[in-house]
Amino acid sequence: MNDIATPISPASPNIAASTEAPIMTRPTGELVLEARNLDFSYGKTQSLFGVDLPVERNRITALIGPSGCGKSTLLRALNRIYDMYPGQHATGRILLNSEDILSDRGSLARLKARDGDVELNESGLDTSALRARIGMVFQKPTPFPMSIYDNVAFGVRLHQKKSKAEMDVIVERSLKRAALWDEVKDKLSASGLGLSGGQQQRLCVARGIAVEPEVLLLDEPASALDPVSTAKLEATLMELKKDFTIVIVTHNLQQAARISDHTGFMFLGKMIEFRPTAELFERPQSPRTRDYVTGRFG
Amino acid sequence: MSTAAIDTRTEDRPARAQSPLGETIFRTLCFSAATLLMAALAGVVVSLIIGGWPAFQKFGFGFITSTAWNPVTEDYGAAGPIVGTIVTSILALIIALPLALGVSVFLVEFCPKRIARPIAIAVELLAGIPSIVYGMWGLFVLAPWFATHIQLPIMMDFDSHSLIGRIFSGVPNGANIFTASLILAIMILPYMAAVFRELLLTVPSQVREAAYGLGSTAFEVVAKVMLPYVSKGTVGVIMLGLGRALGETMAVTFIIGNSHGFPHSLFDSGSTIASTIANEFAEATSDMHTSALIALGLVLFVLTFAVLAVARALLAGNKN
Repeated sequence: MNDIATPISPASPNIAASTEAPIMTRPTGELVLEARNLDFSYGKTQSLFGVDLPVERNRITALIGPSGCGKSTLLRALNRIYDMYPGQHATGRILLNSEDILSDRGSLARLKARDGDVELNESGLDTSALRARIGMVFQKPTPFPMSIYDNVAFGVRLHQKKSKAEMDVIVERSLKRAALWDEVKDKLSASGLGLSGGQQQRLCVARGIAVEPEVLLLDEPASALDPVSTAKLEATLMELKKDFTIVIVTHNLQQAARISDHTGFMFLGKMIEFRPTAELFERPQSPRTRDYVTGRFG
Repeated sequence: MSTAAIDTRTEDRPARAQSPLGETIFRTLCFSAATLLMAALAGVVVSLIIGGWPAFQKFGFGFITSTAWNPVTEDYGAAGPIVGTIVTSILALIIALPLALGVSVFLVEFCPKRIARPIAIAVELLAGIPSIVYGMWGLFVLAPWFATHIQLPIMMDFDSHSLIGRIFSGVPNGANIFTASLILAIMILPYMAAVFRELLLTVPSQVREAAYGLGSTAFEVVAKVMLPYVSKGTVGVIMLGLGRALGETMAVTFIIGNSHGFPHSLFDSGSTIASTIANEFAEATSDMHTSALIALGLVLFVLTFAVLAVARALLAGNKN
């Protein structure tokens, strides 16, 4: 999170070196989400430069790179959470199931507008409905000040009317998928704030998947957790990729190597190398990637 | 063990070219300043108790429950002003709270950044307007307007024996419990809005983003996540507003009508503890009258102190 506002110094000597074309090995499977030639700026400071990111369905895609490289920014662009802040702006294309969610001409926007009664923002896109399809989990656990049950039910209640029995099923299934059910099944009405950090983070995962999003974005979800909680969270994510598509930003290279199928290495707002995880870590092609994954800088 | 370790380090300190004498003087000065404040507070409480003692002794518990307030027969009961104080303060809160909430939510959530800060500063400045200015405005502008445009029409339209008629009965001159509450509400509004805004700013931005990230609308984020997040502090803000309203003197004295005894309706004139003291202190010639007023002061002190203590406890609880 700290790196999102870090401006990229134009005086940096590395900027010239990083103008080389990205080394991309595109996934062979179906893409659920894809960023194409994405630029992003915080006010006058540009922080993403023509980034491409293909996200394959039911796979874990990891984004690595030094602080300030733009990986969190890229994540925040994908579900348009940046809309909350005036002055932040993205151009390029972000395709969710081939629908462009950045442009107002996207078919999602047209569909929603035709349905009527949906509030559209100035770009003509219903971002609330969009964010229900792309969930997000943050660096620090963000449980809401309510019971564990209500935390998980929160997103579902926003978008659908469910009976108590249906909701019970959804809550239980979500907590089980997030590997938290056994620890909290006897205290569902207790406050979510009373859980440990690791449990809170898995609660946030359960809350995120309860609305059955197509993609789950995780922004350094384990950086505030101890090793045991981290291991549990990683096991949870490995399990979740059967049903969901996951994009994870991480500072922990071992974590990326352990759990991801594809890894993108970013540097100074650009995608330097995007390849299957094993290839990227074992045979990095860009010297910059090699320096980073072998720990020579960053 | 650990104590010894700490002691060694403390002894090392003066070595850093620091005069031990200067340090002692500095500490003593700070200590005296703190002690002086506590002593002054204790002095106020003690003198209130001593001064009010004759009244408490003569009327006992009846001082708080009786509505008699008669300087001629030397019979004093403070129920009227006490009830007047509590009723006007709570009414003021009921009016001010939703408005304060609206102002602060607007500033935190919807207002464009560029003008949010100037507005926030303006709100804080409003809290500093002297109460006598509000009082004058209330007496010369609000009260006459209220009497002709609200009080009279309501009283004409409803039978004075019906329930609504009884709630709104009173002398139609605009100086009554309700207008006093209205003025109080205007006075505590900026104060409450400012504290509320600070409180809402304590909600971590990631929690807000998480709520938006699930597809919430702005209203859902505010109502379902941010307000529950600051719920304890909200009670604290309410209590702080109440504490301010309880002790407010000049504005209320101007506009409440200053009649002793129980207020019988919303538009009835009444009095508060502070307004009674302000009105009568100069004319209190007998010892018992003075003592009764001082006893009133003690009641107000205890009331306000209790409210502020609860507020502080609740606000502290919210920070954890």
